[in-house]
Amino acid sequence: MGLDRVALQTVYIASRYIVKRKKGHLAMVTPLPELGRFAEPALLILVSLSDGPKHGYAIMADVEQGTGRPMGPGTLYAALARLEERGFVEALPPVDRRRPYRLTALGATTVAEQLRELSAFAELGLRRLGQSPG
Amino acid sequence: MIALLLRLYPARWRTRYGDEFAALLAERPLGPFDVADVLLGAFDAHLHLRGLGSWSEHRRGFPMSLRIGGLAAFAGGALVLTGWVWSGLDPAESDPGIWLYMAGTIALLVGLTGLTAFQARTHPALVWAAFLLPAVGGAVETFGIIAMAVFPDRPLVGDWAGWSFFIVGLLATIAGSVLFAIATYRTGALPRTGAAILGITSAISLISLLVAFGLGGEAQPILIAGFLAFTVGWIVLGLQAIRLDRPSIQPAAGAA
Repeated sequence: MGLDRVALQTVYIASRYIVKRKKGHLAMVTPLPELGRFAEPALLILVSLSDGPKHGYAIMADVEQGTGRPMGPGTLYAALARLEERGFVEALPPVDRRRPYRLTALGATTVAEQLRELSAFAELGLRRLGQSPG
Repeated sequence: MIALLLRLYPARWRTRYGDEFAALLAERPLGPFDVADVLLGAFDAHLHLRGLGSWSEHRRGFPMSLRIGGLAAFAGGALVLTGWVWSGLDPAESDPGIWLYMAGTIALLVGLTGLTAFQARTHPALVWAAFLLPAVGGAVETFGIIAMAVFPDRPLVGDWAGWSFFIVGLLATIAGSVLFAIATYRTGALPRTGAAILGITSAISLISLLVAFGLGGEAQPILIAGFLAFTVGWIVLGLQAIRLDRPSIQPAAGAA
């Protein structure tokens, strides 16, 4: 189990900005924009939960292993609470005080949409660099 | 400590997340980075539950990260260095230099907090000592500076005047830098070259200052080397941490 380091690095780097085409122009928007500064950790949490339910410590360890960047417990739960409020994740019954979380259908749709946008952004960047994606 | 940190969160938040959050905090040793992150999380929870979340959510902010730690370490080293040089070049007009020095000391503490995320997992005691020594040292230095300004050359405790307090605080700050460098080098959480440079320059500072004080007024060059060396180590480590957090093309290259 665990996230693919390369994939998560890409998400980490690209999640800061997504490029969308608007009337021929490029507009920079952040992913999960309503989450403000928690958008980036929120996306990493959603990606971490994509392969099955995890409790808080497992999410932190997964994200840190994947990105090489630390995720503090305060940041994790601030983002997790917002994701739960918006119905992107849901809590499962606790096991030994650890409560696992899993993606909801809405969360899965949202993270898939975000990743497609990131992928489009990555492809755009690579094309401009004269390199082929993948 | 976990119970204390939990109490900082609003009661409504604790009712929902308190038990699992306490379990999470108990999973691994907490370092200054984790504590700072929890403090910011508690502040955010208060704002969020009072309907002020929009202020914090839409404001551009930064989670505690390598980038903040690196920037603070770089700025701290540069400010302390500039403060020393300013005061040394123009002793009669040393006020700006002292303020720069104090701002640099605070920035170094922020840098220490931001850069200790991984070291505390394996060396919690070493990392807490590395944080607390400069924290206490900074307070003692501040007391010494104020004492020098208000009661110049007047002994306050025994033979100790403000200058003595200032120097003891500085030595504690440098000793903390040595401990942080050791913890960082052992874990490899940051580039080992940066950790080694910080450790060596801090050790040079510590030894130079102790030797200079032993020799008295004849050892001014050694004293100056002692004041300046460790700041260079922080600047180098700060730059390396910033570079480490900078997006690179490595992942894409690895994916191909």
